[in-house]
Amino acid sequence: MSLARRTARPPVTARTVDAARTLAFLADLSQAFAVSLDLRKTLPEALNRVADFMQAEGASLFLLEPATRVLECRICVGPVDMSGVRLAIGQGVVGLAVSDNATQLVTDAANDPRVWRAGDEGSGFVTKSLLCAPLATAVGPIGAIELVNRRDGEPFGAEDAEMLRLIAAPTALAINNARMANDLVEQQRMKREFDLARKLQKSLLPKRRRGLFPVLGVNLPAHEISGDFYDYFELADGRIGFVVGDISGKGLDAALLMIRAASLLRWAGKDGLAPGAWLARANEELCETTHDGRFVCALVGYCDRDANAVQLAGAGFPPVLTYKRGAFSEYESGGPPLGIMAGIAYEQHEIALNGGALYAFSDGATDVRNADGTRLGSAGVRELIARHAMQAPDARLRGLLSDLKHLKLVDDTTLLLVEKARSHDAQVLLEHHMPARAEHLRDMRNALRKLLDQLGIEPALRDRLVLAVDEACTNIIRHAYGAEGHGGIGLRVSRAEDVLSFELTDDAPCVDPKRMKPRPLGECRAGGLGIALIDTVMDTWHVEPASSKCGNRLILRKRIEDKGYT
Amino acid sequence: MSGIESENLDGAILIRLSGEVDLSWSQQVRHAVLAALESNPVVGVELSQVSYIDSSGIAALVEGFQTARARGSKFALVSVSDAVRAVLELARLDRVFLIVADRSAMLG
Repeated sequence: MSLARRTARPPVTARTVDAARTLAFLADLSQAFAVSLDLRKTLPEALNRVADFMQAEGASLFLLEPATRVLECRICVGPVDMSGVRLAIGQGVVGLAVSDNATQLVTDAANDPRVWRAGDEGSGFVTKSLLCAPLATAVGPIGAIELVNRRDGEPFGAEDAEMLRLIAAPTALAINNARMANDLVEQQRMKREFDLARKLQKSLLPKRRRGLFPVLGVNLPAHEISGDFYDYFELADGRIGFVVGDISGKGLDAALLMIRAASLLRWAGKDGLAPGAWLARANEELCETTHDGRFVCALVGYCDRDANAVQLAGAGFPPVLTYKRGAFSEYESGGPPLGIMAGIAYEQHEIALNGGALYAFSDGATDVRNADGTRLGSAGVRELIARHAMQAPDARLRGLLSDLKHLKLVDDTTLLLVEKARSHDAQVLLEHHMPARAEHLRDMRNALRKLLDQLGIEPALRDRLVLAVDEACTNIIRHAYGAEGHGGIGLRVSRAEDVLSFELTDDAPCVDPKRMKPRPLGECRAGGLGIALIDTVMDTWHVEPASSKCGNRLILRKRIEDKGYT
Repeated sequence: MSGIESENLDGAILIRLSGEVDLSWSQQVRHAVLAALESNPVVGVELSQVSYIDSSGIAALVEGFQTARARGSKFALVSVSDAVRAVLELARLDRVFLIVADRSAMLG
């Protein structure tokens, strides 16, 4: 069988020898490329082998610069050095091979209009025949290989053209692979740098103080690394210094400037300089070394441990807000940003906080976008502060942050809060459990009424609070549990400072908070009045899932007036 | 104790509520009010002995008011207690209802 097959084979011809040689050459070439991703090493070797294999006097490899769309000769072998020659797409034989994505064959170079002749001038070299194949990839040609003159003096032919096309394929593949590998390496390098900058930034943020401390900060980066920072520290005389800053620009160099500015401001602040002088000193230092147009907006200040008196100064920082007994005040920055002009004096403010709260926001907060794309602005920030004013500082900042997150963040956002730290451990005043049935509401009301009387709440407010809690229970019975549902309701009343919290928990399926909307009061219809009443009576209320599976927690809060002021 | 009493006056009916009107029996209040409006041109709800009323109780009164208006009948709240008045004011419904001092004012 094998004998019969063998005799049936066609006679060995020059053509089959050529085909075998070509295959062997292509295999060698592909292997050479596969061994190393270093094109500086593999490409010149490969081009030499191509010139030899194709019996060409010269060979050159042009690559397309992705950014400029210009073809540049990167490697060249043969009598004329073309390295560095640049051609536009469509210019010369090489340019045409790329623009048409097709092999160009020139048999009579002297009379072919496609030939770009500048290469021959002054070199004494005469171009007779040219062959050029594009380096084709899935996204178009990335360059071309060009051969000049056959060594036997004959012009290149169609078979040569076909051969070069075959050679161009693994070459294009190898270049593409190497480029992708390089991109990957570059990305990894950048990621390492960013990781490092981020770690460095995080390490600069102050540690949360245990116990009662009057300064609290949070930072919400809009991107991987932040241009914002905050800091606070204790001085030997018992005062507490604080800093909030915002670096112009984004990215790694802004992050590095931030690190410098943060250490500079901390260093100047620890000397206990008055805030204006503190900023002035940091400004001098930054002006000496920052020349690339970047600058630093900052707010610095001191407070006493009870945060009764605050002294501060700002450099191009958004106005500081104080919130005291439901009223806001605003304090403008005392001078331009740091790092722009030396010799500037910064005006400072003395603020009697006396139990109020001071908020410093980087402009990220006011730049936050509402759902309709408009800026939140100072008024929006005030509304957010008022909405969360009832909560303990920690929970308040978390609440503010989560509201800002729900809005669209366009810039890094940093919040610093200065406020007398109070013991916010809530004191539980009442725990009452009842089956979720209407006939048990009365007992709940009695227990609650009794407690509120003990607290000395005046009767009109007491009755309103009882009504609101009763309405909340009614809602749970009617809507959360529904007709078939049965389970319990837990009521826990607690007090933190002058805020009463009424927490109602149930085991009913989770309700959608969006469906719990108050309707306008005074509207004469039978339904939906309960939530409107709760909304009117309480300062704040919200519903949240009690656990991951089921159950709801409805929290109602009311500030009761401190005795001693009205 | 909580309860409903009805008193027939000539051509009118007075429903007297007492105690705490809440979800546990506000449906009974609703039925009593609507039944009274079926056969009487004038219906009053006496509230002097009501120490508490919730939104479901208010809703029963609102429904009575709307039904009476649709029929051209008269519907009044009679001698409203402070507790009920406070809730009506809170709900901004104190100007919606006809509120009268006593039964003679209702019949007048």
